[in-house]
Amino acid sequence: MIKSGSAHSLLHDVKNRGISAWLLAAILTGFYLVLYFTEWLAVPARMIGLESKWTLYGLLYTLAVTAGGVHVIRKYRHNRYQVIRTCVVIFVQSVFAFSIPQMLKFLHQPEYYFSYFWPLKMDYLTPSYIFSLPLPYILYSFLGSALLVPLLGALFGKRWYCSWICGCGGLANTFGEPWRHLSDKSNASWRIERVTVHAVLGASLLLTAMLFISWGAGKTNPAIVQWTAGFQSFYGLMVSSMLAGVVGVGLYPLGGTRVWCRFFCPMAALLGLVQKVGRYRIAVKENMCISCGMCSKYCEMGIDVRSYAQANESFTRASCVGCGLCAEVCPRGVLRLENVRTQAPQQAALVQIEGIRADRRLV
Amino acid sequence: MHYVMIGNGVAGITAALKIRERDRHARISVIGGESDYFFSRTALMYAFMDRMNPRDLEPYERKSYDAQRIERIRGWAAGLDANRKIVRLDDGREIAYDRLLLAGGSVPNRAPWAGLDTVRDGVVQFVSLQNLADCERLTPSTRQAVVAGGGLIGVELVECLVHHGVEVDFLVRDSWYWPVALNREEGAIVSDHIRHCGVRLHLEQEVDRVTAGADGRVSSVRTNKGVEFPCQLLGTCIGVRPAIDWLKSGAPGLALGRGIKVADDFRASLPDVWAAGDCAEFTRPDGGSLLEQIWYSAKRQGESAARAMLGDTAAYRPPLFYNSAKFFEIEYTTVGEVTRAPAGATTFFHRVPGKDASIRIVENEGAVVGVNLLGSRWNHKWFEKWIAERRSMAHVVANLHLAQFDVEFGRLALESVRAAFQSAERRAA
Ligand SMILES: Cc1cc2nc3c(=O)[nH]c(=O)nc-3n(C[C@H](O)[C@H](O)[C@H](O)COP(=O)(O)OP(=O)(O)OC[C@H]3O[C@@H](n4cnc5c(N)ncnc54)[C@H](O)[C@@H]3O)c2cc1C
Ligand code: SF4
Repeated sequence: MIKSGSAHSLLHDVKNRGISAWLLAAILTGFYLVLYFTEWLAVPARMIGLESKWTLYGLLYTLAVTAGGVHVIRKYRHNRYQVIRTCVVIFVQSVFAFSIPQMLKFLHQPEYYFSYFWPLKMDYLTPSYIFSLPLPYILYSFLGSALLVPLLGALFGKRWYCSWICGCGGLANTFGEPWRHLSDKSNASWRIERVTVHAVLGASLLLTAMLFISWGAGKTNPAIVQWTAGFQSFYGLMVSSMLAGVVGVGLYPLGGTRVWCRFFCPMAALLGLVQKVGRYRIAVKENMCISCGMCSKYCEMGIDVRSYAQANESFTRASCVGCGLCAEVCPRGVLRLENVRTQAPQQAALVQIEGIRADRRLV
Repeated sequence: MHYVMIGNGVAGITAALKIRERDRHARISVIGGESDYFFSRTALMYAFMDRMNPRDLEPYERKSYDAQRIERIRGWAAGLDANRKIVRLDDGREIAYDRLLLAGGSVPNRAPWAGLDTVRDGVVQFVSLQNLADCERLTPSTRQAVVAGGGLIGVELVECLVHHGVEVDFLVRDSWYWPVALNREEGAIVSDHIRHCGVRLHLEQEVDRVTAGADGRVSSVRTNKGVEFPCQLLGTCIGVRPAIDWLKSGAPGLALGRGIKVADDFRASLPDVWAAGDCAEFTRPDGGSLLEQIWYSAKRQGESAARAMLGDTAAYRPPLFYNSAKFFEIEYTTVGEVTRAPAGATTFFHRVPGKDASIRIVENEGAVVGVNLLGSRWNHKWFEKWIAERRSMAHVVANLHLAQFDVEFGRLALESVRAAFQSAERRAA
């Protein structure tokens, strides 16, 4: 039941796909269309002394993460995992994703974002771009994507990136907090997610391969260069602009905060595969779940956490970003995020309903 | 073979799913009067507080029931004819069964207060979806409420009302909060916390007389101490009892006590009829009766009863008691016997300084028999193991860290617990 009072009604409306939510989604989507496809934002940027619309966007983004982050820290102040994680998110956004790149530009260095890696940031393994940078940047790019990302993923799960470092996840977990529950929890959307996210990963791998081929063999083969350039601009438009920006953030108030991360992000797909074989899992306390569903409701990735909890099954889902909100909202303390050396199966449970979860087993 | 369950709560649905798991061909039907689909009663409060939609309360996707070929029948069972093997619904429909499970759960206890018969509106309970609808209808026109009964359902209703900005007078009959499960010290921690959350908690007071206004709606409540509390809503949360009223006249030959009397294989006194969940009454080895009325037991009994209906012969033995709850923000876990520990048992109690957290360990004849844990998270499985292994209190205190289940970076520091235990040991020696 909605709290009485017009302020509460409006809050409910904007958080639950009411008219105001549609309006806000239209505004956010419009903002991204303007940002990506016009130069209008260059005007206000210049007015406040910023050099481009992208700097203005970076500033707004950082402000949204900080303001939302302060709200989240207050809301979950009793939970140290949430407090520490959110502090790190704000710090990484304001320092690594905003201040340092601006400073580098000021020092006539390349505008490099140390908190982004391939394949989220395709540039960082695009040979024509990356080899134009000084050696330390080249090393950071290659070692980061090839070593750091999978290694930390295996040790701690994808959360180290997706909900501690990444700007997309950072915005979702701070500014996006009021809409996290809107993610669809059905099995059907899980099936769709597995197709789409791996399709984008496939496309990003293919594009990277083509970029290397055209970089190496382009001189003798102008057709390859042409195809690659075409594919690259298609990928840039569809994935980086439309899916990550317009759909990813524009639809927060309608589809929840992690639409991009869940259905499209190639980095999340890659880390998800690592996570499945790594140490991270959500431990389920045996026979303590009361099936209330709070964990599923507040899972931003649309994981039906309750289906595991009520079946006494500790689990690792590829999509889980380890935000820890399921454990936070569970009124019976059933869930715990942990990194374990061996994924020992739990003691045989007293009550285990396997039948109903038969289709879960397909994965 | 047609299996029919009366009651689509956790006991009935768990039984239906278990039967389907073992028997791919049987016909399975579930009769429910309260809702079309199984929902989680334990989450009623989150619907009331708008933290969930009613639909979110359903533990299984709706299409699962078709996928599992479980037929859902909406309606109230009103009669049971064991000779013809037929269940009659209150609208006259008849449903034939081969094997029947009674899993109708519980209903709220009726309040014995004077004046209730003059009240036409404003008195609510908090057990069913229909109760929730009443609460939601009345809350917007409620400024002050009285909630009577200091159990777990009462405190949940209080939390919901406080959330909606209602001033609540919370009447608890006992001299501290929830003495059946908590000792005085824990009762005080919880009471302080409840008061801190803005509730006027009155201990040692119970309702004596209820008064209605001219419109028939409750207008005030007088307690046994003669105090008068004005209110527009009165929550009666004074426990539940098995939902067996319809069976008293509607099921000739069925043995009833407080609940439906069953043997340790869930068989009721009529042929091919079983019962499980809140409504089933077992006989203890010492002759006393046993009703288990929590979620965990209903789920466990539903599954075990299904096995029995399928022909397994194992007898049901309730495991060591455990439970969990939440009082506003304070989480609570209990395992074994604490308030009902045998005379002569020794107790270690420690409140963690500066926190609403405490640990109580009860030992009898050198072996731990129960724990009560407030304010931090624990994996009850470890305590079950230690109790089964008859470990000493010293062993449990030394190994407490194994059972911790707090969030990462948020583990309760155990130094103060261990220091307190050592000084208690020294004093004893
Ligand atoms: C507000 C609240 C909070 C709770 N919180 C907790 C908790 O945190 N932890 C815990 O362990 N326990 C909790 N409980 C107790 C727990 O919900 C019950 O023990 C459990 O639901 C019992 O399950 P059951 O299947 O036996 O019965 P029920 O859940 O009561 O289901 C029985 C169903 O059968 C229906 N029915 C009854 N008679 C008929 C009939 N003649 N015809 C058709 N249908 C019929 C009823 O309407 C009901 O829908 C809570 C209870 C309430 C009310
Ligand atoms: S929030 Fe906790 S108790 Fe509720 S369904 Fe999830 S795991 Fe179970």
